[in-house]
Amino acid sequence: MVSPRLVLDLIERVGSAPHGATVSVPLTGDDPDSLTETITAWCLRSGNELVEVRDNVASVRHGRGFDVLADLAPDQVPGTRLWLYTNFDCNLACDYCCARSSPSAPRRALGLDVVRKLAAEAVGAGVTELLLTGGEPFLLPDIDELVAVCTDALPTTLLTNGMLFAGRRLERLRRMDRSRLCLQISLDSPTPDLHDSHRGPGSWARAVAGIRLARTEGFRIRVAATLQVGDIRDLEPFHAFLDSLDVARDDQVIRPIAHRGFADDGLELTLDSLIPEVTITAEGVYWHPVSADHVDQLVTVNPFPLDQVIAEVKRRFVEQRSRATSAAQWFPCA
Amino acid sequence: MSTPLMVGAVAYTPNVVTIWEGMREHFREGPAEMDFVLFSNYGRQVDALLDGTIDIAWNTNLAWLRTVAQTDGACQALAMRDTDTVFRTIFVARSGSAMHGLESLRAKTLALGSKDSAQAAILPVHFLSEAGLDSDAVKLLRINSDVGKHGDTGRSELDALRAVLDDKADAAAIGVNTWDAIGREELMPGAFEVVWESPTYSHCNFTALPTLPPERVAPWLDQLFAMDWDNPEHRPILEMEGLKKWVAPKLEGYASLIEAVKEQGIPPRW
Repeated sequence: MVSPRLVLDLIERVGSAPHGATVSVPLTGDDPDSLTETITAWCLRSGNELVEVRDNVASVRHGRGFDVLADLAPDQVPGTRLWLYTNFDCNLACDYCCARSSPSAPRRALGLDVVRKLAAEAVGAGVTELLLTGGEPFLLPDIDELVAVCTDALPTTLLTNGMLFAGRRLERLRRMDRSRLCLQISLDSPTPDLHDSHRGPGSWARAVAGIRLARTEGFRIRVAATLQVGDIRDLEPFHAFLDSLDVARDDQVIRPIAHRGFADDGLELTLDSLIPEVTITAEGVYWHPVSADHVDQLVTVNPFPLDQVIAEVKRRFVEQRSRATSAAQWFPCA
Repeated sequence: MSTPLMVGAVAYTPNVVTIWEGMREHFREGPAEMDFVLFSNYGRQVDALLDGTIDIAWNTNLAWLRTVAQTDGACQALAMRDTDTVFRTIFVARSGSAMHGLESLRAKTLALGSKDSAQAAILPVHFLSEAGLDSDAVKLLRINSDVGKHGDTGRSELDALRAVLDDKADAAAIGVNTWDAIGREELMPGAFEVVWESPTYSHCNFTALPTLPPERVAPWLDQLFAMDWDNPEHRPILEMEGLKKWVAPKLEGYASLIEAVKEQGIPPRW
C-alpha cells in the first residue's frame, strides 16, 4: 500500500535540501517494506536517489549522486585489473609481506585449471590486464604454462623477486611471451642496506642481477619498491639507479608499506579506504591484493562466474562510497 | 567588456544558488556576461527591477503582472521556460470521491495554497468564479505556508494535499508541477484523482524595463536560447530549473491571471 503522506513528506524535505544533499525520512508504519517500495518508486520517478534504508529510516539524496565509477581513472575501475595469487610460498621472508609469504608458508596454489578458466572469463568480464603474484611465482614448476594461458588472453604482469632466474626456471622465463608480459621485480633501494634489512642478506644483489638478466632477455621490467612512509623522500638517487638499469620512469613504482600481514606498522588499509582491485587466491575472492590473506576483505569463496563476482565488487564499492559521501554531508564540522 | 547584466531571482530553495551559479558560468566569456542577486520575496525583486538595482528579473506570472501594473505596461518579457507556456492548475480529490468537474465542488471545501500563488490560489478562485461558483458555493480553506514566494516552494500545495488526506478539505488546487512531483495518479494509485484540469496559462518569465538597450538584450537572449538539453554541461541546470528549452514569451497566456487579479483586487506589492 503506497503511503501518500510519505510521498508528500519526501517532496517537501528533499525539495528544500540543496542538490546533492541527503535527507533522512523516518518510515513509520506497519509495513516498512511497502514504504521502502514507495520511496524507491518515487526516487526513480523524480530523479532522486535512495541511498539506503536502515533502522526504519530512509536516506534520500536530492538528485543523483555523483557517479562513483566515472570519477575513477579508467585503470582504477574495479574489475579492470584482475590479480591472481598463484601461490603463497616464497624463497624470502620479507618482514613487511602483506601476504605472510615465506619458505614455511603452505603453497596454496591456484592451479593451472583455475587460472585457465579465469583468464578465459576475464576477457568477457571487462578485465584488461592480469597480474600474477605470490608468494614467489617462479617456485611453481608450471609457472610458464600459467603465464602462457594468461598472456594468450590478456596483457599480463608477473610479480617476482627476480632471484630465481637460473636453470630450469630461467628456461621457463625464456618461454614466456615478451610482447604480452611485463615482469614486476621488487627492489627497495639503490644500495643493498635498506633492501637487505627487510628481505634478507644478499637479496639486493640477486634482485639487481635478475633485473639485468630479464632486460637482457628482452622483457619489459617494472620495478616496485615498498618503503616506510617516512622513507618516501629524496628518491632521485633511487630513480637514477633504476635509470641505469634501463627501467623506464613510468615503470618505477614507489609504494608505502601496508600494515598488513607481517608488517608491524604501515598504512592502515581498510575496505573503506581502498579502491578494490579484484584479487583471487586459492581461498576465494578478495577486495584488494594487499589483503589477500585477510578474512576481513574476503568477498566470496567462489570466483565463478567471474563477471558476477566483479559486478558484486563494483556494487559494494559504489554503495560504500555513496554512503561515505552521505555521511560526510550529515556531519559537517562547521 | 561591458558591465555584466544583473539578473534577480527569488531564493525559494538552496538550489537557486546552484542554478544561478550555473547560469552565470554559462554566460561567462560570452558576449553578454551576467551576475545575479537573490531576493527573499518577489515584492523586493520587483522593487529592485524598478529602481535599477537589477537589469532583469526572473519573475513569476504574478510578479510579471505587478511589474506591468507599475510600469504602465512598458516592461518587456524576454523569455520563458517551455514549461511556462503550458502551466496548468489541477484540482484533485481523494480517489473514489466521485467528484468530476468544477460543479462537483459545490458545497464542498477546497484547499488552496498560499494567497500569492497564481496556480494554487488566485487562478483557482478565478476558475471557480468563471464556473459560477463563488465563495458561498465553495468553502475555501486557505493555507498560506509560503507567502512572498508566489507558491514557488510548493509547500502550501503539499499542505493542501495533506488537508485532503486529513479530511479537512474535499479537494485541493495545485500546480501541474506539484501534480507531476507526486507522480500524478500513477505513483500512488488510490490516493488522489483529478477533479478538473484548467486550461493552460503562462507562468514565469524574464522581465526587463524598456530602458534596457536592445543591443544588451539580444546577445544575452542568444546565449540563453543556446542552452541545450543534450549538452551535459547545460542539462543539470535545465533539469533543476524545470525546463528542456528556453522559448519566447507567450504573453497571451497571462490573460486569465490579469482577469483574476482584477476581480479579486490583488494588491500591487505581493
